[in-house]
Amino acid sequence: MLTERTLGGTGHWRLYALLFLFLLIPPAVAEKVKLDPSNWGLEEGKACVSCHKKSSAALTHEWQSSAHADAGVNCLDCHLADQVDNDAIEHEGAIIATIVSPKDCGRCHTKEFKETEGSVHAKAVSVVKNRLPALADDLSGKEMVAAGCAQCHGSIVEVRGDGTLTPETWPNSGIGRINPDGSLGSCSACHGRHSFSKAQARDPSACTWCHTGPDSPDDEVYASSKHGMLYEANRSKMNLQSDQWVLGKDYSAAPTCVTCHMGTTPGVKGSHDVGMRDAWSLNRPVSERQYLVIFEDGDRRELPESQPAPRRGSELVKLDGTMGKVKAVASPKRRRQIMSKVCLECHGKNFVNSYMKQFDNLVKLYNEKFGKPAEAIMAALYEKELLTPAPFDEPIEFSFWRLWHDEGTAARHGAAMMSPNYASWEGMHRVAQNFYGEFLPQLRQLAGEAVANELIETHLTSLDQNSWLNNPAKPNPTLGYGIGKESHE
Amino acid sequence: MSKLRLPLFITRHVVIALLIGGFAGIGFVLFLTEFDHLTSTETFCTTCHSMELVADPYRQSSHYRPASGVQASCGDCHVSEGVFAATWDHFVGSKDLFNQIFGPDYDDPVINALHLPDAAFAARDWFKQRDSATCKRCHVKEAIFGTRPDTVLIHTEDAKDKTCIECHYNLVHRVVPDKAVFKRDKWNRMIEEEFGLSPGEADKLLGGE
Repeated sequence: MLTERTLGGTGHWRLYALLFLFLLIPPAVAEKVKLDPSNWGLEEGKACVSCHKKSSAALTHEWQSSAHADAGVNCLDCHLADQVDNDAIEHEGAIIATIVSPKDCGRCHTKEFKETEGSVHAKAVSVVKNRLPALADDLSGKEMVAAGCAQCHGSIVEVRGDGTLTPETWPNSGIGRINPDGSLGSCSACHGRHSFSKAQARDPSACTWCHTGPDSPDDEVYASSKHGMLYEANRSKMNLQSDQWVLGKDYSAAPTCVTCHMGTTPGVKGSHDVGMRDAWSLNRPVSERQYLVIFEDGDRRELPESQPAPRRGSELVKLDGTMGKVKAVASPKRRRQIMSKVCLECHGKNFVNSYMKQFDNLVKLYNEKFGKPAEAIMAALYEKELLTPAPFDEPIEFSFWRLWHDEGTAARHGAAMMSPNYASWEGMHRVAQNFYGEFLPQLRQLAGEAVANELIETHLTSLDQNSWLNNPAKPNPTLGYGIGKESHE
Repeated sequence: MSKLRLPLFITRHVVIALLIGGFAGIGFVLFLTEFDHLTSTETFCTTCHSMELVADPYRQSSHYRPASGVQASCGDCHVSEGVFAATWDHFVGSKDLFNQIFGPDYDDPVINALHLPDAAFAARDWFKQRDSATCKRCHVKEAIFGTRPDTVLIHTEDAKDKTCIECHYNLVHRVVPDKAVFKRDKWNRMIEEEFGLSPGEADKLLGGE
């Protein structure tokens, strides 16, 4: 029976529930440092600036204009090292390290450190470790690793016995850098030293430093997309300096890389785990939808959807080879949902779902028509010993590599980020040019007509998408066939 | 009128003795001056092969081949100014000669490199105790203008209470970290790698003496 009293009580209950729900909503504000300010502003570090504004004026000027300087964070707060640290050096009476690792930044920026630590960015070295001997050592040379690969992927920083850092591994700001203290990554990959400006990190150029060029043309894709177009035109409205940067509240003119891959929206919590919202693997010979496995210790890894989803509490190999206990698994569907939620701040549900459909369809088309057949043909060639096991010593190996690593990636990224030019001309069209114009002729030359035809029949012409090859008599005037002749009606 | 009278104990023999002693003294001081001078040269120092090993990086350094042509020789930095101080330094330094003959085989590049950090620490302490006196033979803080506008300010303001060696070490010889961060284990591994020794061999070589 309801009395006034119970009704009143229910009213309170509702209020509390509402309050409780409100607390559950992810904070819309960028994570503030929770540490007490007494933890920084080391007395011994206050004097550094006097000399450094003379010896390295520009660097000091950058710091002076930073939020760090405003908050009283001085040189030593970040550069302080322990005597026992491998890379500790004595400098003007202080014991410091040149490299400020994510672990050092994480002393204050705990949340960001935890998020990046398990992310694909932090694993950027292990991602290419197996490829380096062929790509870097054989094709280019070890000298290129320091100047090229490692600048984006990160170096394994070597400290000599005399405390100096080897020029082969330092300077380096690669995002997966393996630091002398064992931590992974480099905050300064995106956050330029020593101003650590929010605006700079939110600008797409922070990402396109590495995400550019044939194998990940995201700079070019974004610039030629509607989003990039709007950003260019509306940069002044982007409110990049704002303390809080929530889509729909603090800015709306255009989304940047950060917005979709890491940013905060009213319904989505921002995170420095940059790959979290990616449902597909787009940089492999054949794309797969993938789980995100989160381990008890905060580490993360991806797992193709074709494998059974790991159970909570079960053991699974982590990327570093050790075993980890599974804490949670985000399905590809869940990851897509989160990404779509960002889209919904500007677009309608139907728009978003249909756009995602267009994207998925292109990925599947690439997979079925080119990725899978090419991969299967390559496997057969290796098996039949028509190719030597060493990569890149036969022309077809270059064609296959370019097909998925460069052209196929351009197509898939182009579709993912709405660049028609990259989805098509720089992407699928180049894939097709390569596949029909180079890869298959090379296959015929290498394997001979009989074997080549057998492989083509098994892996290609049996498929709908490639069945046009069975129909060489079907005319089309694109390349001049029939032009000048009387039409046949 | 009174005649200048020498005390009675100044006999002819005493006068002769004083004269001989005086000349011998002057001769001795002149000898020491020459001796200190000669024993401070690169040529003298590198008569021991072990010193060749540390002279090698010195010959690549700006102290050996400065644009100004003002070359600092071993003794200019490592031997104090003034005949008595210089002689004392040489006297103390003779323990190096003793060690060269009776101590570890410093002529062996590996042994030399393994002992180098201790030598560097001792040398740095020596400079510090003397307020970098030998640096100041040539370098005057107020006259360091450098090539950048603020170099003079750094030296007159920020380095006001500092002595040269506190900032300027690892200038001439092989890089050795400061004592505070030196790690013997890492150093030994580096030397092993450099000379193609098996792991642990350096420790044996060091401990073997």
